[in-house]
Amino acid sequence: MSLIQVKDLYKIYQMGNTEVRALDGVSVSIEKNEYVSIMGPSGSGKSTLMNLIGCLDTPTSGEFFMDGIDVATMGDDELAHIRNKKIGFVFQTFNLLPKSTSLRNVELPLIYNGEIKAHERRDMAISALTRVNLGDRVSHKPNELSGGQRQRVAVARALVNNPAIILADEPTGNLDSKTGEEIMALFDELHKQGNTIILVTHEEHIAAHASRVVRLLDGKIAVDELTKRGKS
Amino acid sequence: MKSFFWENLRIALAELWSHKTRSILTGTGIVIGIIAVSLMSTLINGVDGLFEDSMKFLGRGNLYVEKWPWFGDEDWWTLRNRPRIELDMADEIKERSQYAMVVAAERGRSANLSYKELSAENIYIHGVTANYPEVSTVDVEYGRFFTESEDRTGAQVVLLGSEVAKTLFPQGNPVDKMIFAGSKRFRVIGVLAEMGKFMGAFSNDTQVIIPLATFNKIFHGPWGRRSITVKVPEHLVDDAKEELRGVVRVLRGLKPGEKDNFAINQQNAFRQSYQGIKMAIGGTGMIITALSLLVGGIGIANIMFVSVKERTREIGVRKALGATRSQIQGQFLIEAMLITASGGLVGLIISTLISMGISKFLFPANMSFGVAFMAIALSAGVGLFAGLAPARKGAKLDPIEALRYE
Repeated sequence: MSLIQVKDLYKIYQMGNTEVRALDGVSVSIEKNEYVSIMGPSGSGKSTLMNLIGCLDTPTSGEFFMDGIDVATMGDDELAHIRNKKIGFVFQTFNLLPKSTSLRNVELPLIYNGEIKAHERRDMAISALTRVNLGDRVSHKPNELSGGQRQRVAVARALVNNPAIILADEPTGNLDSKTGEEIMALFDELHKQGNTIILVTHEEHIAAHASRVVRLLDGKIAVDELTKRGKS
Repeated sequence: MKSFFWENLRIALAELWSHKTRSILTGTGIVIGIIAVSLMSTLINGVDGLFEDSMKFLGRGNLYVEKWPWFGDEDWWTLRNRPRIELDMADEIKERSQYAMVVAAERGRSANLSYKELSAENIYIHGVTANYPEVSTVDVEYGRFFTESEDRTGAQVVLLGSEVAKTLFPQGNPVDKMIFAGSKRFRVIGVLAEMGKFMGAFSNDTQVIIPLATFNKIFHGPWGRRSITVKVPEHLVDDAKEELRGVVRVLRGLKPGEKDNFAINQQNAFRQSYQGIKMAIGGTGMIITALSLLVGGIGIANIMFVSVKERTREIGVRKALGATRSQIQGQFLIEAMLITASGGLVGLIISTLISMGISKFLFPANMSFGVAFMAIALSAGVGLFAGLAPARKGAKLDPIEALRYE
């Protein structure tokens, strides 16, 4: 079975009398170690799909298996556990806790895991920070770091739980182009190491890092193809 | 689950530390509430202790036949015109009553005492029968009580209350010294142990005790208190009171239908009256302290709502990273309880200091372990109560919207 298997997924919002079909029958499969971009103009259902894949939301109808687990009908707390174990988030705005050090920020998913002892958490967090070349910034707080460094802390936080997928939502949106490229190089590296990466972006040159691109339009998949990189 | 408690405690400490002024101001409401509640309970316990101590002096199984009732709203003139209590009745009561174990009689009035150039004015002179120690608490610290033969013969001997002894004999042993009461010479045969006082009443400390026969010989006239104390078995005190009433009515020649022209007093009267006062003070106090804790709790709830709102995004991040509802709820509950429990602790320390001050200068009021425990439990409870709604609100936030919150 695929890592992510989605079939006939619908997400319908009721806005007063009008029905908004944010996702209108989406079927897609993503394999382990794939590098996929999800693209689409605003209102295309891109964010909705990302929230569903990130297990932050549940669909109105349809099938959704994550790593063989049926997550379509899960409750809040079950979804929280899935997010904790299977998904590493990287956000456009970093979303680090401003008063906590890099180490504490990266430890956070391990704390909510609930089964990892304090000293193990520390070791794991330090090794994740070392993987993103921030081994010397463990006790810095976010406001003592540059934008690129902050995003790398966020990537370390996404990595630390060894998740099934890394889900990055416009990860370069708040960075200048040079720093953005550095972050993308980091994702490329993580992909080479065997991680499954899903990028949500509206920028073609960012999407081009992936090997496959899924384009959404009006809640439906318009295009699902390999990129140049994917073909080579 | 345990690791989340420590984690949440750590988050709460960091959060409160980063908003020091806010935390202190919020906690102050609880500090005041806890001071009020613990001080209130301590004071009531202290007054209770005092009351019980002074009740020992009266004895639970004692009935006092007197002209004046201790409490009541009977017409003053009627009471005033009652014939006086003849203390000779004591022997007859002893003979006729089946319940009476001891019957003692006493009189009292004020007089001035002097020893050499020292004098004590307006001292209450207590003339009692030799069996008085059997119906009351008389601790003789030095010397001895008088004997029955001294009482019978009207010996001019006196026991001094501790205060009186200090006044007349600032240093040195008063026993066997001769003092003057008016123009009469008395030999001091004993000094009573200090007993403290309750609301300024019934204290042996400022009295002297002489044999009743001596009193009768020296002080003539109708003035002063006259009382016959009948000691009965404690558990039969109600029956005994009825019997005693009948006996005294016969002795005083009252016809059926005539009203009693005497009063039979007992400790109960004080107890009831005291309980009434205590309930009134305690009840009012409890309402005031409950209100102050409620106000403190509302303050906490308010600040916790603000805190949840300010940290919406943080909640979003935590939820995205896998925090469950109960973990988020726990985080804010522990924060609220940390404020109130610290406030409670500070309040407890302050009220302990205040009660130590009261003990030193006014009366014994010691903070008990029970009161301290109650104060801490109560303050944590207020935190739980006040934090619940804000914590639930935070726990229920939709992670998608919380992450988008600016």
